Amino acid sequence: MINTLLKPILSRLPENNRLERIWKLAQVDFKKRYYNDKLGLFWALLNPLFKIAIYYMVFTYVMDRGRENFAIFLFAGLLVFMAFTEAASKGLTIMKSKKYLLENIQFNKIDLFTSSTISIFLGFSFNLVAYTCFVLAAGIEVGSNFFYLPILLVNIFILCIGTSLILATIQIYLKDIKHLWAIIVIATFWSSGIFFPAEAILEKLPQAVYVNPLIGIIDNMREITMNNSSPNFSFILINYITSIVIMIIGLVAFKKFSHKAIELM
Amino acid sequence: MNSDVVTVQSLNKTYKRSQKQAKSIKDMLLRPMKNTDTSTFKALEDINFSVKKGEFFGIIGRNGSGKSTLLNCLMGSIRADKGSIVKTKGKMIRLALGMGFDPNLSARDNIYVNGSILGLTFKRIGLIFDDIIGFAELEQFVDTPVKQFSSGMMAKLKFSVAIHAEADIFLMDEFFGGVGDISFRKKSTKVFNDTFLDGRTIIHVSHQLATIKKHCKNVLVLDRGKQVGLGHPDEMLPLYSSLFNKKSDPKK
Repeated sequence: MINTLLKPILSRLPENNRLERIWKLAQVDFKKRYYNDKLGLFWALLNPLFKIAIYYMVFTYVMDRGRENFAIFLFAGLLVFMAFTEAASKGLTIMKSKKYLLENIQFNKIDLFTSSTISIFLGFSFNLVAYTCFVLAAGIEVGSNFFYLPILLVNIFILCIGTSLILATIQIYLKDIKHLWAIIVIATFWSSGIFFPAEAILEKLPQAVYVNPLIGIIDNMREITMNNSSPNFSFILINYITSIVIMIIGLVAFKKFSHKAIELM
Repeated sequence: MNSDVVTVQSLNKTYKRSQKQAKSIKDMLLRPMKNTDTSTFKALEDINFSVKKGEFFGIIGRNGSGKSTLLNCLMGSIRADKGSIVKTKGKMIRLALGMGFDPNLSARDNIYVNGSILGLTFKRIGLIFDDIIGFAELEQFVDTPVKQFSSGMMAKLKFSVAIHAEADIFLMDEFFGGVGDISFRKKSTKVFNDTFLDGRTIIHVSHQLATIKKHCKNVLVLDRGKQVGLGHPDEMLPLYSSLFNKKSDPKK
């Protein structure tokens, strides 16, 4: 289905074995995640909807913390958070699951991370479609500021690749990094302003915006999609710098240490 | 010398067998500063050879003699010790029959994924797609998940894809025509001998001495990580057999 949608674009691109391979691996990875059921893509859409319904119930009925359009407010945060953790966590397993590639062909290993992040972003884009439908259904005015969205997506993409590269590099030497990562994920979850607005964190801890790029990204996501106002450009700048720094650290570390991967696996 | 596409000089590979080295954050916290134990293991010791363009080069040796480590060093997936020279010209692919087929995907998807891995563009795969399926005799099963294939069907498909690989140098780890039933074996051996071998540079690791004898001009014999011989199969094969007699190894 994805192929049919993208066929007109793909067929115009020049032939390139490397790019094609990245795309094919991403596509296959995505397909496999929802393979066991004929309704694969259906579940890809339903999964976040159920999550959002659960959180919504807990926070509006049980804890009575409702605010206007709280479900959508939550959805925006969760979408970004889920894409980030899924893509970054791939770094922990990717070298092992793609061992046959590392051993059998010569290629740039970073392609593995590009393709795994693309595969997560395929799912992410389905979630974004669902999200947009929700926004429209709630009667929120969608305006031109919506077009800032790609700027945020590119930022998340860079952040995801960088983080997964760092995780993959550490994983080569320290096999139990996944336990530490699980804790970091929880810390990220509660510090990214998913259940409450970014101001709530930044009032108490203004420096947090430099450490956790998701705070600014999620806040901007809400600004442009829910409030139809322009994004906070200083957040964009800070988040891009943080994400690029993370990516550079990831690239340098991975380049330097990844040759040990096969040996220590 | 210019026609050498692979040059290996004084190649060494040492593995550290230090058990005390921290392998987890837990180790680091509980037992810091304790990675002094450094027993080493020489997997490869002073290997020298070169392969010319278009040559069929054989590597033989008993299990554990370092053949796979040598291939890994050539591929660059394992880094050799300092001072070793490993030069290769052009794109290299390691053909292994067990490689990268995903049981949950259809034959079609697997052909595209593997073709792409083996250096083919989508356009090229589209052109040879029918050939691949036809050769593997799997016309009715194009969109069947390969987990439902019999092992024979799977092997045929893998072979059919692999012989279309495009690269400058092929490393073959126990890979050779001769899968499936007698008729397919005949067909695959023929294609392999007539088309695949023609003009390709191949480094072949095998225990099948008949193949080595038939195709190789040069054979490298490894034993326990050391190079014990390099030369024509007529001289090398007896040398290889003598390794077994000397150590009275029950295998073979």
